[in-house]
Amino acid sequence: MVQIKKKKERDAKIPDAGMSDIVFLLLLFFLVSTTIDVDTGIGMSLPEFQEEQEFVPISKERLVAVNINEHGDVLLNKEIIAIPQISANLIEKIESKINLPSNKKLIVSIKTDRRTNYNLYIQALDQIVAAYAEVQNKYAQQVYGKKLEELTPEEKKIVVKEKVPKIISIAEPEKTK
Amino acid sequence: MKFDKKRSNAKQEIPTSSMPDIIFMLLLFFMVATTLKEVDVYVQYKLPEAVAIEKIENKRLISYIWVGKNGKIQLNDAIVEVEDIQDIMYKKRVELPNVIVSLRIDKESDMGVVTDIQQALRKASTLRINYSSMLKQ
Repeated sequence: MVQIKKKKERDAKIPDAGMSDIVFLLLLFFLVSTTIDVDTGIGMSLPEFQEEQEFVPISKERLVAVNINEHGDVLLNKEIIAIPQISANLIEKIESKINLPSNKKLIVSIKTDRRTNYNLYIQALDQIVAAYAEVQNKYAQQVYGKKLEELTPEEKKIVVKEKVPKIISIAEPEKTK
Repeated sequence: MKFDKKRSNAKQEIPTSSMPDIIFMLLLFFMVATTLKEVDVYVQYKLPEAVAIEKIENKRLISYIWVGKNGKIQLNDAIVEVEDIQDIMYKKRVELPNVIVSLRIDKESDMGVVTDIQQALRKASTLRINYSSMLKQ
C-alpha cells in the first residue's frame, strides 16, 4: 500500500519583526528628501504701465529718493550713505508724517543703474521695508499697546493702510536708445 | 536578617508591537507634507538675503520666474527670452487675475535684467511681484 504522505503542517506566518525597520527606512528617506520650501520674499506692487508718462508734481518733502549706482554707492536725497543706515534715516522721516493726510505721506523712490548688483538693490529695499515695519510696530505699540501681529484686522488696517502706508515707488527706467 | 527583594512583578518591557503603526503615522505625515517639485529648474541661482521678508500666503497664485547666474531666464518650465515674458504672463493673468509673480533672481545679477522683466510684467499688467529672498540669519 502506498503510503500517503501526510501533509506537513507548515507555519504560514509572514515574519513581521523587520517591518518597523523597513518603515523606518522609508521614513528616513522622506525625512531626508523633504524640502519644505517656503516662499518668502519682499512683496511689491509694480506701477501700471502707461505709454504716455504723466508727471505728477510731488512736493520735495514728501519724496525720498534712494539711488544706487553701479559701484554700489547709495544716495539718499543727495547724501551719500551706507546701506545699513537707510533704515535709521527713513524712520524719522516716516514718523514725522504719521498724522498727515494720506496725500502727504512719504514716498520712497528707489532707482538703480542697469549695472547695479541685484543683491544691493534687495538690501536697500529690505532696509526701506524694515523701516516701515518698525514704524508700524512702534505705532501699534504706542496706540494700542500691542504688537502689530496681535492687532485686530480693523486696527491693523488703520495702522497699515491709513497711518503708516508703505509707499515705495520703483522709478521708471530711463529710455534706452 | 533577610532582606526581601522589593521588586515588583510587573513586566519590564515596553510594548513595541505598535511601533510600526506609529512610524507609519510619521511616514504618512511626511509623505503628505512633502511637495514634490513640479518643475525642473534649469538655471543656477542663489537668492539674496533680507530681514523684512514676508511669506506668500496663497501658494496657488504664485507663478515663478527664475534668473540664473548666467543671466538665463526661466518662466514656469522653460527657458525664455525677455521678449516672451509679456505674452506668457498676459495669458497667465487672464486665467488667474491676481497672480503673484515670485522673482527668484540670482543675487549676482545686474539690475538691467530685473528692470527688463519688471517692464515686461508691467506691460502684461501682472503687477503683484515678490522678490524671493532668504531670511538673513
